[in-house]
Amino acid sequence: MQKNNIKRKSPVSGFLDKIFYNKYKKKREGAIRFYDMSSPLVKIACAAIFLICAAMIIVAVFPAAWAILAGFKDLKEFVTGKKILPVSFSFAGYAKTWESMKFARYYLNSAIAVAGGVVCAVLFNGLLAYVLGILRPVGHKVVFALVMWTLLIPPTTSVVAQFVNIHKVVEFFNKLAGLDSMNSFFNVMPLWLIMGANAFWLVLFKEFFESLPKDYTEAAQLDGCTDLGVFTKIMLPLSMPIVVVVSIFAVTAAWSDFLLPNLLLSNSEWRTVMVRLFEFRTAIKVTEIDKLHAVVFSIIPPTIMFILFQRQITRGVTVGGIKG
Amino acid sequence: MTAGARGGNLQKKNRIQKNISAWAIMLPTLVLFAFFIWEPILESIRLSTYRGIGVDFSRLRFVGLDNYRLMFIDPNFKAALSNTFIYILWSLIIGFFVPLIMAALISETAHLKSAIRVAIYFPNIMPGLATAIIWTFLFRPGPTGVLNIILGWLGLAPFNWLSARGWTIPLIITTMTWKSAGSTALIYMAGIAGINPELYEAATIDGAKPMRRFWHITLPGLLSLGKTMLILQIISVFQVLYEPMMMTNGGPNNKSISMMMLVYQYAFRDFNYAMGTTISVFICLILAVLTIIYFALTRKVSNE
Repeated sequence: MQKNNIKRKSPVSGFLDKIFYNKYKKKREGAIRFYDMSSPLVKIACAAIFLICAAMIIVAVFPAAWAILAGFKDLKEFVTGKKILPVSFSFAGYAKTWESMKFARYYLNSAIAVAGGVVCAVLFNGLLAYVLGILRPVGHKVVFALVMWTLLIPPTTSVVAQFVNIHKVVEFFNKLAGLDSMNSFFNVMPLWLIMGANAFWLVLFKEFFESLPKDYTEAAQLDGCTDLGVFTKIMLPLSMPIVVVVSIFAVTAAWSDFLLPNLLLSNSEWRTVMVRLFEFRTAIKVTEIDKLHAVVFSIIPPTIMFILFQRQITRGVTVGGIKG
Repeated sequence: MTAGARGGNLQKKNRIQKNISAWAIMLPTLVLFAFFIWEPILESIRLSTYRGIGVDFSRLRFVGLDNYRLMFIDPNFKAALSNTFIYILWSLIIGFFVPLIMAALISETAHLKSAIRVAIYFPNIMPGLATAIIWTFLFRPGPTGVLNIILGWLGLAPFNWLSARGWTIPLIITTMTWKSAGSTALIYMAGIAGINPELYEAATIDGAKPMRRFWHITLPGLLSLGKTMLILQIISVFQVLYEPMMMTNGGPNNKSISMMMLVYQYAFRDFNYAMGTTISVFICLILAVLTIIYFALTRKVSNE
């Protein structure tokens, strides 16, 4: 039967085998294997599946790519044009929106919010994970149970009471320092600190710490290193893979968040990119093309981060098994 | 004897010191958890038993569970509740099966695997707000909307998309699925990669064709993972907020308003925090039940 196959092979199918089907020799997961290629039906199915997967790439990338390309249109072209792609490519439109909306300032504000948020996310969740996973003092089981219970309650559902709490404390500090309550930097700090209370990231840290060999920490303790010293000098440097994963999750979360930032920073000079974007919901004066430009500005930093760290990110998803 | 006792004392002292230092290290994080998560939950429950505008308790009136009665006769809540069921239905039809099918197909290709993996995860890092705005542009009605231009290529008339009768929620779910399907698919793909290849080879020797192998080995291998993903899916649908808020503002005619949107409107538009927390406590109760089911299922998975 195999002999038959070889005899019948046309040059075209031989070429297809070479560029496409031979690669299935290495396939070890899923139902289809190379030995199924003797059936033409399976060969057609494989080609169809590949085309569908290629279509997935297009669907996944198209909306963002369209937004960036359509941003080159001018207002009239964008509102009344019947073509998907712009007629000409000029950065003038982007530059105009960037200038007139003062996006540089929002970028700076977002950068401040993100940087502080990442530090808090790694530091506070890491410290608690270190205590619960390695030091294990009296009562660590109760604390861990409490933390795990918070996984039961999605954060968005207590957003009202959370905001009420934050508002009270921020107002208290503003009064204490005699600051203008709209533009005070105390409004930004809750956005940092809230990243330090994330049960998902805490569990990621804890599991990683527990998988590290105990020798290092014990040796350091014998050398008279304090518990905090062991964390900063040994645990964190050894845990860079998970620190990177949590940092990436934290950057994405901090950059994309707008609910709490909008409540805390509306009309403030510390407004982030997302708060500005959210304001378009009720803004009347903004033109459609300005709106599109602003959206593009908001997706560029995460896109750059994604291109730089794509491997860590896609691996992090399967390690963490959580939705980012 | 005395030396032993002294040693014991020293050890005890040491242990106490260790405990104190460990608690000191975790105290800051515990304060954050208490302030941002634990206390707000209790505060929500308390606030939901009062009535009035604002959060100053001296101006609020204690009404017991009466807010919950009000909630159930609020026409907006009725709309949001029935919408939630429509959201769940569509998220099961679109949101649940799409990532599963994607993972199954990608696992059967031998080409461009890492490129596909990276590309399908890309929408996940897009800010949710930007996603909602971009898709609103794509769904723009009239002949200038992007999807309508594509329909035009196929010789079809422009469609109203988000404002078309019966299409609003399915299209919002499509947008959400576009954003989240990739990460779910990656988890399923890890599940498929974890299936023992010998199972497939044994089935081949028994004469099973690829389709049969898929039905009898791949799908059963994803069953437990699928169950947990289903629960996660439903949990996330209960929290739908910014997609309808940005894309349709709950319209047309309350047809896409979600429960979280109602919470937001009560609290931050009307400053009726009490009514807002009432609804959020209600959502919380439902989600707690669902999450307990989820944990029961995942425990089974890790035991298997």
